[in-house]
Amino acid sequence: MDFRLTDEQEMLRDSARRFLEKECSLEQRLHAPVNGGFDAARWAQFAEMGWLAASLPEDCGGLGGDIVEAALLMEEFGRNLVVDPFWGIGVLAAQTLLAADADKARELLPLLCAGELRPALAHHEVQSRGVIEHVTTQARPAGDGAWTLHGEKTLVMGGNVADRFIVSARTSGGSRDRQGITLFLIDANVPGLQRRDVRLIDNRWSAEVTLDGVRVTSADLLGAVGEGWAALEYGHARGLIALCAEAVGVMERAMWITRDYLRTRKQFGVTLNTFQALQHRMAEMLIELELSRSMVYRAMAYLVRPLAARQAALSVAKARVGQSGRFVCAQGIQLHGGIGVTEEYSIGHYFKRMTVFENELGSAQFHLEQLALRECAEPAAARAQN
Amino acid sequence: MDFKLDPADEAFRQEVRAFLKENLPPDLARRGACGFHPIRADQRRWQRTLFERGWGAPNWPVEYGGTGWSHLRQFIFDEECALAGAPATDNGGLRMFGPVIYTYAGAELKARLLPGILKGELYWGQGFSEPGAGSDLAALATRAVRDGDEYVVNGHKIWTTGAHTCDIIGLLVKTNPEAKQRGISFLCVDPATPGITVRPIIDIGEAHSLNEVFFDNVRVPVSNLLGEENKGWTYAKAVLENERATSAEVPLNKRKLAQLRHIAMHERSDGCRVIDLPGFAPRLAQLEVDLRALEWLTLRALTEKSEGAVLPYGSLLKVRGSELVQRIGELTVEALEQYGSYLYAEPGEDPDAKPDWPPGPDYAPGVVADFMYRRAATIYGGANEVQRTIIARSFLGL
Ligand SMILES: Cc1cc2nc3c(=O)[nH]c(=O)nc-3n(C[C@H](O)[C@H](O)[C@H](O)COP(=O)(O)OP(=O)(O)OC[C@H]3O[C@@H](n4cnc5c(N)ncnc54)[C@H](O)[C@@H]3O)c2cc1C
Repeated sequence: MDFRLTDEQEMLRDSARRFLEKECSLEQRLHAPVNGGFDAARWAQFAEMGWLAASLPEDCGGLGGDIVEAALLMEEFGRNLVVDPFWGIGVLAAQTLLAADADKARELLPLLCAGELRPALAHHEVQSRGVIEHVTTQARPAGDGAWTLHGEKTLVMGGNVADRFIVSARTSGGSRDRQGITLFLIDANVPGLQRRDVRLIDNRWSAEVTLDGVRVTSADLLGAVGEGWAALEYGHARGLIALCAEAVGVMERAMWITRDYLRTRKQFGVTLNTFQALQHRMAEMLIELELSRSMVYRAMAYLVRPLAARQAALSVAKARVGQSGRFVCAQGIQLHGGIGVTEEYSIGHYFKRMTVFENELGSAQFHLEQLALRECAEPAAARAQN
Repeated sequence: MDFKLDPADEAFRQEVRAFLKENLPPDLARRGACGFHPIRADQRRWQRTLFERGWGAPNWPVEYGGTGWSHLRQFIFDEECALAGAPATDNGGLRMFGPVIYTYAGAELKARLLPGILKGELYWGQGFSEPGAGSDLAALATRAVRDGDEYVVNGHKIWTTGAHTCDIIGLLVKTNPEAKQRGISFLCVDPATPGITVRPIIDIGEAHSLNEVFFDNVRVPVSNLLGEENKGWTYAKAVLENERATSAEVPLNKRKLAQLRHIAMHERSDGCRVIDLPGFAPRLAQLEVDLRALEWLTLRALTEKSEGAVLPYGSLLKVRGSELVQRIGELTVEALEQYGSYLYAEPGEDPDAKPDWPPGPDYAPGVVADFMYRRAATIYGGANEVQRTIIARSFLGL
């Protein structure tokens, strides 16, 4: 095993860190007007620096990297609580598209890498609650090999600035069958599609997308009819790891901000860092952070494993990171005292980001339940897992 | 020991419940039950209703217009009000400052300040904390210098809840800068006095209850001094003890737990109620266990207090009560899932304004704002770390 980064990876991380500290710091943004979280000029810079291409294969216009590159970038985004829709478009949608349809991926992903195409994944529904195969949106046959789409998608990350939607819809099966999910790529302004933009508490934006008779044909298909689940799982696996990596960045920065504050804030004639109760709390924060980071590494290592083992590792990571992140960021506020609960100061925003994290791709509770089911269904397999 | 509840107390509960059913307007209840900061107009309206019923001050003695109820009855009353979604009454005036006024103030000040609290016409702000004086409150530096029959006040307060809508501020000032605790005095200050500037502080729920208050040569009549000069620390400590006595907020936690159950029975995962998901109910049960423990500790505190308390109940209750409200909030946000990430803006002070909220069920707005705000529960009223030190030193002899 070797946990060191390659030279290229280190360069990517360092340049991202420099750029984001300079251009996208939280302090700059807090006073900027709310603009839907999107800055077109900056998106173009992301493209120019190769960030959108970093974790895509070369035949799709990418730089040939993989999940490690996405994770490195996301960790840096997390440190600065960047609100640009990198995750929704550049990871979740891009990776799903990559896995869904090789031809379309070769055609469209180069445009995405160049910042010229912004697809978002319209998959999540109100009652998904972490279950990837949950799809109730219907694709009803409309003759001549066409379908009409009916349903509601929510929490479409980056949906507010998307020019295309990758929509999951049922062509057969029940609401939680893996079989029968079909993916379509549709234009954002197609008739029958309604979008409502929603600001999240961490200042990122998502959209609710209502599909009311949107007409699609086989030309709009991504992959084969009824076979969309595998691509969704592929995209979600990478999306989940990227999200966890971001959370590690969130936690780490929250920890250091808090450390610095304790060193300067004085009460009772001394700086707060002299109180042992607070030193111990900070030690716990570091432990939680490093456990989380380890879980992200493990999840990346398990990406190549068979489905069951991969999913278990992803659940372990999401559960651990969710719990640790909440603890670290909540304590970050606590150790600040009153200033910690103000909108003007940074630390509370780290807590908000972690709160949204828990509501995305299944909560810690959801993932614990998945692991518990595994314990019951195949205790031997669960135990033998190395 | 006698664990039986007096049937008369149960009858009292029914009486309160019937009164609430009859007199609590639905619009007030709706706003009271959601997590946004209460609207002052609602609070005033509701306090007036209670006053007219003779229930304006459940915790005050009869001679000052209170009900003279036992601690248990006060508890029952608070619980019923909370469960019905009544707007929070003025904790500052009724619980923190009122009792200190009738205990320590002279006749003139009492006559001037107490009736307004009862009628909902005199809301209190607590002007204690300063940028340099949080946990170390006695380090406060706001200065008051006597000039004839006035004090001239200069300084800077922070975290003053409701300073923008209150009618009077209980202000701690230094009258003798040489001394720490013994140089502190307590002034009752009209926030409309020239020289006072209030600047809002927005909290992480994107709501406004906190403020900074600046004092620039503010002239306060000496007749607004509470008790004696340089004895302010005694009164301040009494205010803080009053604040902590109710800080377990069992009634509030009960309402929030009830709300959580309601949400968990309505949110669904592919048709399955969230409450029926395998991991959810055990966590709900855990909260129930912790709430009941807190409730009975509170009941002990309320009844034993009359015979001179031994345990530092206030601190015990503050630590666990504040943690509990945060944990209930956490599970409620989880139950809401995506709606727990949506930004539902605080409606503000105008009760008729129609907020432009994102989609979602009726119970969603206010939950996250409150969850965020309650990060402060373990900070305000004396941070939990400091409470633990008080417990260790004052009771355990460490
Ligand atoms: C929402 C809210 C409402 C409030 N309302 C009011 C109000 O109406 N009026 C008013 O006067 N004040 C109010 N306060 C202020 C509140 O009382 C203070 O925030 C609180 O006393 C903590 O002070 P601080 O914020 O300066 O934090 P600090 O005192 O700077 O504390 C920061 C951290 O250090 C810890 N710490 C400090 N000293 C020690 C120690 N000796 N040992 C171990 N740990 C320590 C604290 O526990 C905390 O975690 C409010 C605060 C909040 C957040």
